[in-house]
Amino acid sequence: MTALREVTRRLLERLRPDDVPEAIGDAPVVAPSTADEAAEVLRHAAEEGLTVGFVGAGTRLGLGGPLEPDLWVSSSRMARVVDHQPADLTLTVEPGVTLGEIEELLGAHRQSAILPEGRPEETIGGVVAAGASGFRRLRYGPTRDRVLEVVLATGYGEVVRAGAPLVKNVTGYDLSRLVVGSLGSLGFVARICLKLWPEPPVHATVPVTDPAAALAATYRPLAVLETREGGFVYLGGTEAQVGAQAAALGAGVRVGLAWPDRPTGPVPVELRVPARALPEAVRTVRRLLPEAPFVAEHGVGVVHLAGPADADEEFRTLRRWAERAGGVVVRLGGYDVLSASEFPPWGAPPPWAGLQRRVVAAFDPAGVLAPGKLPGGLR
Amino acid sequence: MDLVAELESVLGSERVRAHPLDRRVFAKDAGVKTGPVAAIVFPETAEETASCVRIAAEAGIPVVPRGAGTGLAGGAVPVEPALLVVMTRMNRIFEVDEQGRTAWVGPGVINLELSKQLASTGLHFAPDPSSQQSCTIGGNVGTNAGGPHCLAEGTTVAHILAVELVTVDGEIVVVGAEYPDPIGLDLRAVIVGSEGTLGIVTRVLVKLTENPPAVGTLLLGFPTVDAAAATVSEIIASGLVPAALEMMDRPMVRAVENFVHAGYPTDAAAVLLAEVAGHPEGVRAEAEMIERIARSHGATSVRTAADDAERALLWKGRKSAFGAIAQSAPDYYLHDTVVPRTRLVEVLDAIYEIAARHGISLLNVFHAGDGNLHPLVSFDASRPGELDRVLAAADEMVRVSVEAGGTLSGEHGIGLEKRDLMGLVFSADDLDAQARLREAFDPTGRMNPGKVLPEGSRCFDRAAVSGGTGR
Ligand SMILES: Cc1cc2nc3c(=O)[nH]c(=O)nc-3n(C[C@H](O)[C@H](O)[C@H](O)COP(=O)(O)OP(=O)(O)OC[C@H]3O[C@@H](n4cnc5c(N)ncnc54)[C@H](O)[C@@H]3O)c2cc1C
Repeated sequence: MTALREVTRRLLERLRPDDVPEAIGDAPVVAPSTADEAAEVLRHAAEEGLTVGFVGAGTRLGLGGPLEPDLWVSSSRMARVVDHQPADLTLTVEPGVTLGEIEELLGAHRQSAILPEGRPEETIGGVVAAGASGFRRLRYGPTRDRVLEVVLATGYGEVVRAGAPLVKNVTGYDLSRLVVGSLGSLGFVARICLKLWPEPPVHATVPVTDPAAALAATYRPLAVLETREGGFVYLGGTEAQVGAQAAALGAGVRVGLAWPDRPTGPVPVELRVPARALPEAVRTVRRLLPEAPFVAEHGVGVVHLAGPADADEEFRTLRRWAERAGGVVVRLGGYDVLSASEFPPWGAPPPWAGLQRRVVAAFDPAGVLAPGKLPGGLR
Repeated sequence: MDLVAELESVLGSERVRAHPLDRRVFAKDAGVKTGPVAAIVFPETAEETASCVRIAAEAGIPVVPRGAGTGLAGGAVPVEPALLVVMTRMNRIFEVDEQGRTAWVGPGVINLELSKQLASTGLHFAPDPSSQQSCTIGGNVGTNAGGPHCLAEGTTVAHILAVELVTVDGEIVVVGAEYPDPIGLDLRAVIVGSEGTLGIVTRVLVKLTENPPAVGTLLLGFPTVDAAAATVSEIIASGLVPAALEMMDRPMVRAVENFVHAGYPTDAAAVLLAEVAGHPEGVRAEAEMIERIARSHGATSVRTAADDAERALLWKGRKSAFGAIAQSAPDYYLHDTVVPRTRLVEVLDAIYEIAARHGISLLNVFHAGDGNLHPLVSFDASRPGELDRVLAAADEMVRVSVEAGGTLSGEHGIGLEKRDLMGLVFSADDLDAQARLREAFDPTGRMNPGKVLPEGSRCFDRAAVSGGTGR
């Protein structure tokens, strides 16, 4: 077995694509160019018992803990735009296409896929697998509500398609939504069709002193964020509408959307709580980690923050607080400075972990895909 | 003990029915198929539901969850003698979180009742199927129901945060969470729309939507169906997503006018009911834009609702469409295909042509904004040969939709009715993946068997059937 792995490792060295993300180091990587090729790789991996991780730009690999698989499968050679139907508001892409490319293409048509803001280097495959959303989810809902169709190379080595490139569809089980946030546990996402939104003609950013009150007073803003710099309401609509809404909120209006940077620091985490508990969550973060940069999403219930490496005690306290408030704290990285055993990637497993294990086993019978990534997994 | 006695020992005799008359009443939903019922139970808690599931397992019969039975695809119709678990008694609204805009509700709560109960909070449950006066939230979860206002707000799945599920083993498990992006696999997303095949939903955490501060409702009349359809395509392409965009053709408009007298233009070949909602300034601009596009396609009449009463009347016309048909024809057959919104004109033309060729009477009322067609054939099944002609035409209508890049169902579900058409849109491998998912939830095949997937979907028994052709 180890001998075979050694041979495979050496063979794979030769197939290595040039643009391997730094996070992977010199581990073996293959980059299929079609869904069928990806399925073939996964079939062999299952047969040989080789563990597999998936990688796009490598920016979200820390979610669910560090992974050291026998083999990485990269989306770098599957980075084509398959189809854009501007008049039907749909876009079909391969997983390696970056968010920057997508928004540039759509911008020309005044449309948007409402992807995470300010992360042009990330790939759509990574965003879908991680289940990540942008700040504008307050207005448009999370990314998972816009994934209409996926093609998946499964852990048992077949190519399957789920959903359809249509905005409304109840034909069969919605496997495409199940793939969103699955962290590679079901297979390699080889194609994605997204529902698009028209861009509002006018945007504005309004600083506010009390973001919770501003949220309650404003009809459907794009986002209401709070950072250490203050609170901000983001508006979109016709000129008259945005003008009226901004005027009602106060002075200092900026035209356009001035998004804050996502917090960076040694240990990035995400605090997720029921929306009503968000103001309390912000107070708790301020108290426990008075220096840590954060961005809090009012009305959504997410606080993005990055704490120092020596804050394991505070992180554990924060997690206990979050779980009592009906939420979670999720780690996004920093395992080299604060180990996964000192502060685990996930807290308590979800109540449906038993069902989840059976579903994962149905798509990855050999148990080789992203082992240990999902919370509550036995592997 | 026999099945009924066993069930009565848990629920009492009043909530267990097995009289032949009851079994006949519950043998069908609002679709065209019927099936055999062993007994009917009305649990009031998740624990009682779980006990019923276990008793059925011991008796070796399947379980079929049921809400109000307004489903149109036969999802709640058994294929073999089954225990029908009717959720209508679990109709409590447990808690409403106004600030977080969520509520925990029983699956038996009637859709419209929920929004009515919320009236004082300024919030509502966005999915608004035309059957909302009678269908249940549990049924909406079962079918991932849509409604006119799902164009902008998304269908039921976008409004369900978590469910409490009784599994086929009688376990009770909460799937999903109140916080955003629950960790782990999003099993909630596949339970919604699973037509009662993955378990019985006994509690639902719904997301509530803020009532819009302003609403504009327009009724637009057109000289041709094509002009109305082209207007829809252009509205969507122009960067505007209205709150609702519904279409009715002349036969439908006439049927509705006879029924509710809403003042629809009966001389128009087709009408569009368009609604825009939101900030007053935005509403004004969007209503003007819709009117401009409609006129550029030759709209012959434009009526704007002056107040809430007129708006309610215009909507009453749309929402009573099926009732109006039921009044004029003994039977009707309804499809639910979806096509890309850019192909509406050609697919509608083809559907009219099919109806004319088969000599059947066709009416159209549908969710035009998201390309969700409802060609409706009214007929009299007692006339010899008529049902056959209707079914032949219906089959062709599905095929033209699929050939235009469309699919089988946008909101009613697959159930029994469209199960054997799944091979038109999915390959054998696609169906096998769906069957794997189902098997993970229900290895015994006793949770609402015979629905959604055609027999032989799982690859190891694929040899038994020809399998799908894919697209
Ligand atoms: C006049 C008319 C108009 C309609 N208009 C629309 C429309 O605009 N949009 C639309 O989407 N539909 C529409 N429908 C179809 C129907 O109303 C919907 O499918 C509705 O969601 C069904 O709800 P129900 O409570 O009647 O469920 P049922 O018909 O009883 O059941 C539907 C399915 O859900 C399952 N189910 C029910 N309850 C549960 C539960 N608690 N747990 C698990 N599974 C469960 C059943 O097994 C079945 O498969 C219409 C029907 C009629 C008759």
